Amino acid sequence: LISKRKPQLLPAGCSHVNAYKVDNWRPNLRVIYQCFVWSGSAETRRRKAKSCICHMCGAHLNRLHSCLYCVFFGCFTKKHIHEHAKNKRHNLAIDLLYGGIYCFVCQDYIYDKDMEQIAKEEQRKAWKLQGVGEKYSTWEPTKRELDLLRHNPKRRKMTTNCTIGLRGLINLGNTCFMNCIVQALTHTPLLRDFFLSDRHKCEMQSNSCLVCEMSQLFQEFYSGHRSPHIPFRLLHLVWTHARHLAGYEQQDAHEFLIAALDVLHRHCKGDTTNDNGKKANNPNHCNCIIDQIFTGGLQSDVTCQVCHGVSTTIDPFWDISLDLPGSSTPFWPLSPGGDGGTVNGESHLSGATTLTDCLRRFTRPEHLGSSAKIKCGGCHSYQESTKQLTMKKLPIVACFHLKRFEHSAKLRRKITTYVSFPLELDMTPFMASRWASTNYLPPGLYVLVRYALFAVVNHQGTLESGHYTSFIRQHKDQWFKCDDAIITKASIKDVLDSEGYLLFYHKQFLEYE
Amino acid sequence: MKMENMSLSGLDNTKLEALAQDIYSDLVEDACLGLCFEVHRAVKQGYFFLDDTDQESMKDFEIVDQPGVDIFGQVYNQWKNKECVCPNCNRSIAASRFAPHLEKCLGMGRNSSRIANRRIASSNNTNNKSESDQEDNDDVNDNDWSYGSEKKVLIRQMDNVLFSLPGELSSSVNTDPYKYNYNTGINYETLGPDELRSLLTTQCGVISEHTKKMCTRSQRCPQHTDQQRRAVRVFLLGLSATSLPDSNTAVESDGYDASDGQVLMSRLQWDGSSDISPSDSASSKASTNNSDSKKPKKKKKTSLNSTGGGGGGSGSVGGSSSQGCLAGQANRKKPKLPVPPAPSIYDNLN
Repeated sequence: LISKRKPQLLPAGCSHVNAYKVDNWRPNLRVIYQCFVWSGSAETRRRKAKSCICHMCGAHLNRLHSCLYCVFFGCFTKKHIHEHAKNKRHNLAIDLLYGGIYCFVCQDYIYDKDMEQIAKEEQRKAWKLQGVGEKYSTWEPTKRELDLLRHNPKRRKMTTNCTIGLRGLINLGNTCFMNCIVQALTHTPLLRDFFLSDRHKCEMQSNSCLVCEMSQLFQEFYSGHRSPHIPFRLLHLVWTHARHLAGYEQQDAHEFLIAALDVLHRHCKGDTTNDNGKKANNPNHCNCIIDQIFTGGLQSDVTCQVCHGVSTTIDPFWDISLDLPGSSTPFWPLSPGGDGGTVNGESHLSGATTLTDCLRRFTRPEHLGSSAKIKCGGCHSYQESTKQLTMKKLPIVACFHLKRFEHSAKLRRKITTYVSFPLELDMTPFMASRWASTNYLPPGLYVLVRYALFAVVNHQGTLESGHYTSFIRQHKDQWFKCDDAIITKASIKDVLDSEGYLLFYHKQFLEYE
Repeated sequence: MKMENMSLSGLDNTKLEALAQDIYSDLVEDACLGLCFEVHRAVKQGYFFLDDTDQESMKDFEIVDQPGVDIFGQVYNQWKNKECVCPNCNRSIAASRFAPHLEKCLGMGRNSSRIANRRIASSNNTNNKSESDQEDNDDVNDNDWSYGSEKKVLIRQMDNVLFSLPGELSSSVNTDPYKYNYNTGINYETLGPDELRSLLTTQCGVISEHTKKMCTRSQRCPQHTDQQRRAVRVFLLGLSATSLPDSNTAVESDGYDASDGQVLMSRLQWDGSSDISPSDSASSKASTNNSDSKKPKKKKKTSLNSTGGGGGGSGSVGGSSSQGCLAGQANRKKPKLPVPPAPSIYDNLN
């Protein structure tokens, strides 16, 4: 029994494996893992089922172990493997269920680095064979990290009732638009994980890397400080790198988001690597964290009305801007409760517009009219056509921008129509795939397109003067309102009842490539 | 249990259930074993203790959910005196005024070219500090900033200068006179006594503690008191310093009322800062709704409320939210926006 008070530095491995690690031990061990432990292929599974029984009592289970020195299977429960070990002086055995190595001299399971590496590699191969793909494995500290941690015992565990990770932001003079975007970004789970695990390797010579500043921002948020942070360096950097934003001319939160993402993307060069080994500084094939998280693909299909030929293009996007009813662009109110109308569980109180309505409008086929004829490659002439936008590639974080600020030639105003948005969003109906368009979704795939709301940016006031605040999600189901320096607890109802200007959704399940 | 090739079809329900139960309990046992191995490994590798935290200090980080305080248990709005250092000019700036400062500091404001020209035209002994001083000084004069509120400040200050006794200026005057000390870089050390004397007959002359330069505003400059002006003259010219016009004669009109605001304003406009257009009259600015102005201005968060409301008067400028945390956020977008340098794939699709 290990006492929790005094973490003992037990050696994880043992010296008795040295006798084993001779000659061809590696391929031998691999074979054992492949055939008798992980059994990736159907053939090995069959073989394991048939031949892995205790040589003494015939049991299949009872924690069967295989001797590492000879072909012998013995169960652990009845100590048949122990007997074998004693008789033959074969002091190592492997557990056929979990692949652990047992040393009979130490009388304990031991963890040898080299052997564990082989075990892990073979396990990955087996998963691949079984079609499971990569599986998530938790972080383990290295020896050096363990040492550091042992010498620095002051640790804070983030429980659900913990303020760490939350922090106010001082308003630098009408910079609430920036503060809201910072709150949304610092609470984007993947981005948080990227920065807190120090994944940014800066290659910029000067001190003006925005990604470094972002990294610093996360440090500030997780420092445990309670006083609000003053993001003056961030403002300086953004204005330096996105000159069109600087000054009080254009201070829209959405604009700031796009500009910030753009600068972050440009400064991420040091982190991008391609499997091919080429540096990915080609903007069309960037693999930086910003693109990995925020970039989706929007498919545009233009169908010729005459020959019905379809011309398809796919453009990357970072966010989706949605027109609202009441704007001067025509909005077709789609019947609430129609097909897929309540698929996202949005409230349809007295016919309120939903986010789904807006998305349906966004992805509807649009007749382009006689004044906008397209040159059709099939007909070789200008023809009328219909155009339709659908999602080809879903980003990990989908940001929806409700176009509340109208700036047409005739009028400038804010559209305050309430738009109801859901806590969970299913993107299936808006996707480009054939099966999606018929609203049929094979079971099991639903999870891959399910999105969860994690941040909402709101604007109160008029076009001329107003104030931005945001709601962010922390610890799975807790919400907090961020009003510059003031962070308070909020209810889900508060969030869903708010007007909504920028809505941030995060994919719930991630696949590993 | 020996494995046999067994057909399930011949078995009755109870037997099937027993089999199912066996399989189930095996699976549960395996899962438990897996957990045991995880813990065992964590202990042996030495990272099991990572979970340990100091229970006492964890209490410090508990979320507070009470009215009137934030999640840290702090009262709202105690952060008025935060400061930061401008990365561009290295001056210490009040955090809540950092953005307007930075706009000018980086040369991006609408009046930055005017400021820059002024800087070029000023005396030759400028160093970095004085340049940035100028820019900061222009905050007071720069009317496109907190437009209406600026006028109110000046009017209020004038009010106090006119009607208070010397040395009794109330706290509604800018509490940091040195910060906004307007100067064109006149260094008193380079001037001879005659020059100083003539200078001091027309100008305020109070020396900024910050920059060591003399104030070039008029002798009725509201940034400084008459006492300060007398002190400077004594310091520079000796005890036989020429007398200042004393405060009682500062008033040239009989009374002060709103309609005189415009007149006063023009007198307070030094150096031809001509951003005021005729339509921006003081009376329209005096209304609480600044958004009516022709040129739509952003409402600014003013730090006036924090400087103590000695002079009373209009209180909250621009009439917005209660907590003094105005952060007016006008979202005035130009119809055509310059595109960021990145290629067009990053344009968002509307």
